[in-house]
Amino acid sequence: MNRHMRMPGRVAQDGPSVSAARRHLGRRIGCALIVAVAGVALGLSVHHGLQTTTALLRPRAIRPSVVADRQEQCIYRAIRSDLPKGAAVYINDPVHIQRLAELSTLWAVPQPSRATARWTIALVPGSSRAPGSRAGSRCYGLELEVRRT
Amino acid sequence: MTELLVVIVGLGAPGFLLALAVAGASPVLVFLAPLLGAGLAAVAAVFELGVGGSLLAWYVVVAVIANVAVVALWLVRVRFPTPADPPWEWSVLTLAVMLLALIIPLMALRAELIGGDANSIWLTHALMVSGGHHALVAGLKNPVYSFSNPDYPPLVPAAGALAFALFGRGDLHIAPGTTVLLNACALGVAGTGIAALGGGRRPLTRLAAVAAAGAIGLVGFAVAGQFGVDGYADLLWAAAAVAAVIWGLVLPRGTQALVVAWVCAGVATLTKNEGLTTGLALLVLIALRYRPVTLSWVWRLRRREAGGRFPGVAAWPVIRAWAQRAGFVVVPALPGLVWAGLIRRLGLSDRFFASPSSETLVLRAHAALDGMAGQLAVAPLAAAVLVAGCCLLRRDRERAGLGNPAWLWLSCLASLLTIFATYVFGGFEIYGWLAYSVNRTTIFAQLLLYAELAIWLVIALDTAFTGERTEQRNVTPDAVSVAAGPRS
Repeated sequence: MNRHMRMPGRVAQDGPSVSAARRHLGRRIGCALIVAVAGVALGLSVHHGLQTTTALLRPRAIRPSVVADRQEQCIYRAIRSDLPKGAAVYINDPVHIQRLAELSTLWAVPQPSRATARWTIALVPGSSRAPGSRAGSRCYGLELEVRRT
Repeated sequence: MTELLVVIVGLGAPGFLLALAVAGASPVLVFLAPLLGAGLAAVAAVFELGVGGSLLAWYVVVAVIANVAVVALWLVRVRFPTPADPPWEWSVLTLAVMLLALIIPLMALRAELIGGDANSIWLTHALMVSGGHHALVAGLKNPVYSFSNPDYPPLVPAAGALAFALFGRGDLHIAPGTTVLLNACALGVAGTGIAALGGGRRPLTRLAAVAAAGAIGLVGFAVAGQFGVDGYADLLWAAAAVAAVIWGLVLPRGTQALVVAWVCAGVATLTKNEGLTTGLALLVLIALRYRPVTLSWVWRLRRREAGGRFPGVAAWPVIRAWAQRAGFVVVPALPGLVWAGLIRRLGLSDRFFASPSSETLVLRAHAALDGMAGQLAVAPLAAAVLVAGCCLLRRDRERAGLGNPAWLWLSCLASLLTIFATYVFGGFEIYGWLAYSVNRTTIFAQLLLYAELAIWLVIALDTAFTGERTEQRNVTPDAVSVAAGPRS
C-alpha cells in the first residue's frame, strides 16, 4: 500500500488490483481469526457443558440426589399425615428450619414464636426422639418429631 | 418426564395462538409458546395477589382474553407484518438441531436434582401460589418465610403452581422440573434468533448459523452448570434476557423481532428481581433503537415556535415520540412492575438491602469486582472479536441490517453495573454472598458474550464465503449504505 503511494505510476497500472487482493487476503485472514477464536470459545464451553451433564448423570452423583429427593417427599407427606391441616407449628430445629417451613406450606402454619404455636416439630436422626414426643414417620435416616405445646 | 412434557404442552397451548400471531410458522414458535403460557400464568398470579381468587381461575380468564384478542385481530385482518417464513427444510433443520442441543443437557433431569433455592424459594412460592389468594398473602407476609425472598416475581411459582394444578401436589419434583424446561425454552428462543442470522444467505452460512444456534443452547446450560437443571430460575431470566437482546437489539428491525424481544424481556422481568432491572434496561435500549432520539426535533421545534402561534402543536410530535418510547418500556414490563408495586404495598422489601453492612464500600466493591471478573473469562475474547469484527466486518454487519454491537455491550454493562451495585450497597456479608451467588448472577453477561461470539462467527463466515463479491461491493460504499436503508 505504502509502496503504491510512493510510486503513483504503478497504481495506475496494477495498484488497485494488488491493493484489492491484499485487502481481500487481510479480510479473509481476519475472518478466519474471528471464526477460530469464536469457534474455539464456543466449542470449549459446549465441551464443558457436556462434561457437566455426564458428571451429573453418573450413578454416584444420581444416588444421593435421588435419596435427598425421596427424603424430601417423605417429610412432606409426614407433615401432612402427622399434623392436622392448618396446625400452628413452631419449628424447634435450627438446622432444618427452612426445610420444615417450606414443606409445611399449605398444610401447617409456621409460627415465629413458640407462644402462638399449638405444635412443635423438628427433624431428628432415626431413633433419637425426645421423651414424650409422638412417633413420627421415618424418612431415610431422619424422623419427624411432633409434640403438642 | 412424561408429566413434565404434559406441563410444557399445557403451558404452550394457551400461548400457541399468540406465538403464532407473533412469530408465524418459524422455529421460534415452538419455544415461544410455552414462555408466553408461563407469562400468562405470571399475569394470573399478579391478579391472584392483587385482586383475590385462585391462580387457575385467573389463568383461564387471562388466557381466554389474550386468545380472543388475537382471534379478533385476525378476524379484522390485522396482521403483524412478519417477514416471509423461512423455507420449511431450514425451519425443520433449525428446530431439530435446537431440540437436540437442548435435550442433551435436559437428560440431567433423570438425576432429579432440586437445588437449595429451588426448594426454599421457588417450590415454597409455587405451593403458596397454588393455595389461592389468602394462602399466598399469608405466606408471603409470614416472617418465618422471610428466607424465601417473598418479594421475588411470580413467573416460576405460577408455572409450578399450574403443574400442581395438572398433576396434584403429590410429586414436588414437577415444579422445579417445569422451571428446567422453561430454561430450555428461553434458550431455544435465543438460539433460533442466532439461527435467523443466516436467513436469506448462502447455505454454508445458514448451516453455520444453525450450528451456532445449537451451540448457544448447549452453552447456556454449560454456563449455568448444575443451576440450569436443578430448578433455579437464574438461567431462565438470563436466557430470556439474552433472547430479548438478540431479537430486539441485534436482528434487523421489524415487528416480529420487536414483539419477540418484548415477550422475552417481559419474561425476564417476571422471573427474578435482577431480571426485572435488566429487563427494564433492555426495554429502554430497544425503545431507543426502534425510536431513535435525534437532535433534529429541537431544531424543528424552535423553527415552528418561531413561525407559528401554537407552540403546543409544534411540540406534539415530540411528545408523541417520547410517549411511544415510554410505552415501549412500560407495556411489556407492566406485569412485573405491578407485582413489584403490590409486594411493596404488602410491606415486603428486598432482603438484600434490609440491613446495612458493616463492611466498607471500598472493600465490598473490590470483592465484587474480583468475584464478577472471575466469572467473565470469556469477556477478553469477546472484546477482541468485537474489535476485529468492527475493523473488518462493520459494513457487512450494517448491510445485513443487524444492530450496532454497542447495543449488546451496553446491555451487558447495564446488567453487570446493576449487579455490582447490588453487591456493593447490599447488606449481606460480601464474601459469602459472592461465593454462593456470583456464578449465577453473571449468567446473563456470560451467555450474552458467547452469543456475541456466535453472531460475529456467522458474519465472519458469511464474509469469508462471499469475500470476493463483498470486496467488489465495498468499492461503492455510498451505494451500499443507500441500499441498506436506515442505520440500526
